[in-house]
Amino acid sequence: MTTSTEQSLAGAAPDGAASAAATRGLNKTYGTGDTRVHALKDVDAGFDAGKFTAIMGPSGSGKSTLMHCLAGLDTADSGNIWIGGTEITGLSDSQLTKLRRERVGFVFQAFNLVPTLTAEQNITLPISLANGTVDKDWFSYVTKTLGLTDRLAHRPHELSGGQQQRVAVARALLTRPDVVFGDEPTGNLDSKVGAEVLSLLRRSCQEMGQSIIMVTHDPVAASYADRVVLMNDGALVGELDRPDTDTILAALAKLGA
Amino acid sequence: MLQVALAQLRQHVRRFIAVGLAVVMAVGFLTATLMVNASTEASLGNSIGATFRNADLVVSEGQDKQLDGSALDAVTGAAGVGEVYAHRQASIAFGSAAGASYGALQNTAPAGLENLELLDGALPGDGEVAVDAGTAEKQGLSVGDKLELAPPAGMVAAEDVAAAGTALMVSGIVKPSKDPFMMVQPQLFATDALQQQLAGADNSWLRNIQFDLAAGADTAAVKDTVTAALADAGFPEASVNTAADQTKEVVASLTGGADQLTIVLLAFALVALLVSALVVANTFSVLIAQRTRELALLRCIGADRGQIRQSVLAEAVLVGISASVVGVLGAVGLMAGIITVLQGQPDTEFATLAVPPYAVIIGLVVGILMTVLAALAPARAATRVAPLAALRPADEARAGNSKGKVRLAVGLALAVGGAVVLALGAVSADLLIALPGGMLSFIGLLMCATLFIPPLVTAVGTLAKPAGVPGKLAAVNAVRNPGRTSATATALLIGVTLVAMMMTGAQTARTAFDGQLGAEYPVDLSVGDLTSAGRPLDASAAATAVNYDGVAAAGLVTNGGYAEVHGSRTGVYQLAPEQLALLQDKTLVLDGNTVLMPQGSELKKLTVTGSKGSKELTVVEADSWTLPPLISSAVAAEIGVPELPAADSEDYYSSLPQLWVSVDRDLDSWALLDLRSQLAAGLEVNEYQISGAAVERAAFNQVIDVLLLVVTGLLAVAVLIALVGVANTLSLSVLERTQESSLLRALGLTKSQLRSMLALEAVLIAGVAALIGAVLGAVYGWLGAQSALGAFATVVPDVPWLQLLAVLAVAVVAGLLASVMPARRAARLSPVEGLATV
Repeated sequence: MTTSTEQSLAGAAPDGAASAAATRGLNKTYGTGDTRVHALKDVDAGFDAGKFTAIMGPSGSGKSTLMHCLAGLDTADSGNIWIGGTEITGLSDSQLTKLRRERVGFVFQAFNLVPTLTAEQNITLPISLANGTVDKDWFSYVTKTLGLTDRLAHRPHELSGGQQQRVAVARALLTRPDVVFGDEPTGNLDSKVGAEVLSLLRRSCQEMGQSIIMVTHDPVAASYADRVVLMNDGALVGELDRPDTDTILAALAKLGA
Repeated sequence: MLQVALAQLRQHVRRFIAVGLAVVMAVGFLTATLMVNASTEASLGNSIGATFRNADLVVSEGQDKQLDGSALDAVTGAAGVGEVYAHRQASIAFGSAAGASYGALQNTAPAGLENLELLDGALPGDGEVAVDAGTAEKQGLSVGDKLELAPPAGMVAAEDVAAAGTALMVSGIVKPSKDPFMMVQPQLFATDALQQQLAGADNSWLRNIQFDLAAGADTAAVKDTVTAALADAGFPEASVNTAADQTKEVVASLTGGADQLTIVLLAFALVALLVSALVVANTFSVLIAQRTRELALLRCIGADRGQIRQSVLAEAVLVGISASVVGVLGAVGLMAGIITVLQGQPDTEFATLAVPPYAVIIGLVVGILMTVLAALAPARAATRVAPLAALRPADEARAGNSKGKVRLAVGLALAVGGAVVLALGAVSADLLIALPGGMLSFIGLLMCATLFIPPLVTAVGTLAKPAGVPGKLAAVNAVRNPGRTSATATALLIGVTLVAMMMTGAQTARTAFDGQLGAEYPVDLSVGDLTSAGRPLDASAAATAVNYDGVAAAGLVTNGGYAEVHGSRTGVYQLAPEQLALLQDKTLVLDGNTVLMPQGSELKKLTVTGSKGSKELTVVEADSWTLPPLISSAVAAEIGVPELPAADSEDYYSSLPQLWVSVDRDLDSWALLDLRSQLAAGLEVNEYQISGAAVERAAFNQVIDVLLLVVTGLLAVAVLIALVGVANTLSLSVLERTQESSLLRALGLTKSQLRSMLALEAVLIAGVAALIGAVLGAVYGWLGAQSALGAFATVVPDVPWLQLLAVLAVAVVAGLLASVMPARRAARLSPVEGLATV
């Protein structure tokens, strides 16, 4: 167990291929006057390429906001953001769209899939949107790894919750993005199925070298990560390297969560 | 993205039914209208073409000169011309049992060019004549009968014809010509020589010259040769056409009237299109709102705004295409059905279905364009969905309600300006001024609908307060999105206004015409003259008449004296006070010093003489030209009721008792004709002895009723489309307020309270729209009737309260029905589910 050090955070500056995503001096506020909330305060963070990182923190700690900003879904008030070495601060809506399409993958808590499309169509949707061609070998490797080969023709409502999340993971992996973002990807699943999906994410990180950043408040889910970043009140307050559940619980308890 | 759009359509066909239905109805209407025009032309072409059907080329006169013998010579002499038929037609009188009749005597054509269809007998030879089947039936003629023909001048009785005419034998009965120029009159046919001999000098005019080509001749070459020959002969403007071209030309000259019908129908189609565009726009908004999260997800995984817009528009295009195709097919089916029915009728067997390519193309193009244009705004709204909406609970998006000040200003200006013009048109009784004024003011009102509809809904909403929490919430909810409420209400408002306008206009016109007719013909039915037994009518006649169904009252009006009117002695009738009710013109009164005279008597005073003395009376002129002179029975008693004058005296017929009958108002013209026959039989008189305006009034009312029914039916399509829109708006509201509804449920609102809240909301929107529509329609209808009829009748606004109430009731009930589905969906959600589903 290693507790956070200011050293490691400060060193998380963008340095090319080694970083999947990074921020520097990120600030974000919501609301005005009495309802003003400082969601992110001068956040400097780095996320290593090829690693599975979890962002944890109590409700309102700013972990979701950080992820939204990293993924180009939300804009920060000030500061810089890099995805795979490319600065995305100040990109236009269409540039951000293109970025999301090609360099970022998403796995949400729920409602991941377009209900009217089949699993296969959902998986290839980002590539269809970009008018690209699907890499057949990669597609079959990913779907085989995720155990979806015989589920490809099904529509979302014909799939179990775990299968739906696996389809979402497959979609996120298919474009070989710089980073896959997970927003409580197992929040809606029971613990057994959740464990399955988390193992898959971890395998894709280990076997395919995929960078993954996951927001969660479940210590069990976070224990699958290589590294856990802790947040509180809009600031990074520490990090844990390859922690187990107990370590995480202890660290969270210290935050007063 | 096409993939997404297609999947959307495949999976959620039901969601698109509302849009599709609106488009289908509007497109079907438009296409059917265009086909009415084309089918009318085709039918006319079919009937007119029959006249030329055997000719290769047809010569018709130019503007400069009618065709005559020298033209015929020119054609006959031209190279390449085969058999020639100069179509002659002249008026002729022919005698029969019913007296002298007049018809058109035409010449028969050489065998190759003959287009008559024999039903019986043979084509006429020397000393013979053929008649059309209709005339044969009417005059009781059959093959072998004798018929006298004479030039028409001075022939008033069958004896005149017999004296002056030529006796011919009926050789055959032919099918009546389908040529609309000929259909109205008896058609007689004789050989060319006999026709010229009978018709006399006045027969040089040739309707046309039809001819065949000589063997091996070329159509174009002969056409040129004949045209040149005609020009040489002094007919430079005469045209030489193939039979087909000639048919087209004649039809074109005939269809001016049909075009007007088409324009009127097109106006209705335009209304339907407008309403359905509003509904399509609203419905697509619903569909977009239902899919906010899905669209956000697409944005998250890399769909750009253009792709989202394209996806929505692709859906609109696909829906537009399929609904338009269905609409066009429906229209073709409808027209085919109507034409089939018409073909079964003897008078309209020439009816021909025409499906012109332009009707199909215009229907499709307009339908698709309208759908896509209507979907533009919702598509833009779809592109505004933020990717983050997929991740977090949808905030209640409150788009700033920019009222569009320019639009309001223009709308107000149009409304006021149009109203002034409309008022001007009404005052000057000029429909051509009132019509544009009315249209402009209505468009103006629609443009500033956001100004008055939401406040009115709020105002009416206070009525719902007694319904408790659901009522209060419904009143507030109904105007939460003023723009949408206005759009929904506007769609309904258009339809209801037009329906109410037609109803009020018809009712007002009917009253005006009734008043006019009552003044013109004050007696419903009057029976005069002697019975067939030669006796005057007596009191028993009145007793007999009142026994018939449909007779409201009957009274015998008898002679009360006589007077010298412009040098001739005429009878004056006396009217008992209770008999005054038999006069439909309620402005007519009689007192001890007046005599009622028909219009145009040009008298101030009239001395009426009875058996005991005479009295000078003040003349009161009625509006009627046909009313006999009338005095009150009191005056008649004062001057002494005279004996009936001798049968050969000048005033005998004007002194014979008359039976006056007033009939029930609700009888139609057929029932009245029937009643007239029954009365004639019961009173032992001939039908022509019964006169009066009842039948005319009933016929006019029937025309109004049928027109009203048709127009209301046409507009009902628009109202129906609009109600689909109400249901859609409501389901959108339900969707947007899922969380809120669940919260209310969690806080203790029962399912039925939730349902009644939504029902009240629908009723509020529909009811206010219908209310405004009914008021506007009543005003427009009255002003319209005043503009159209004001010049020749006194127009008093007559509001058909019951009908308007029915429209209101229909709107409210339909609003209720429209709320059923969305309300069920809202009530089905459990409080927990609703709070979780964001």
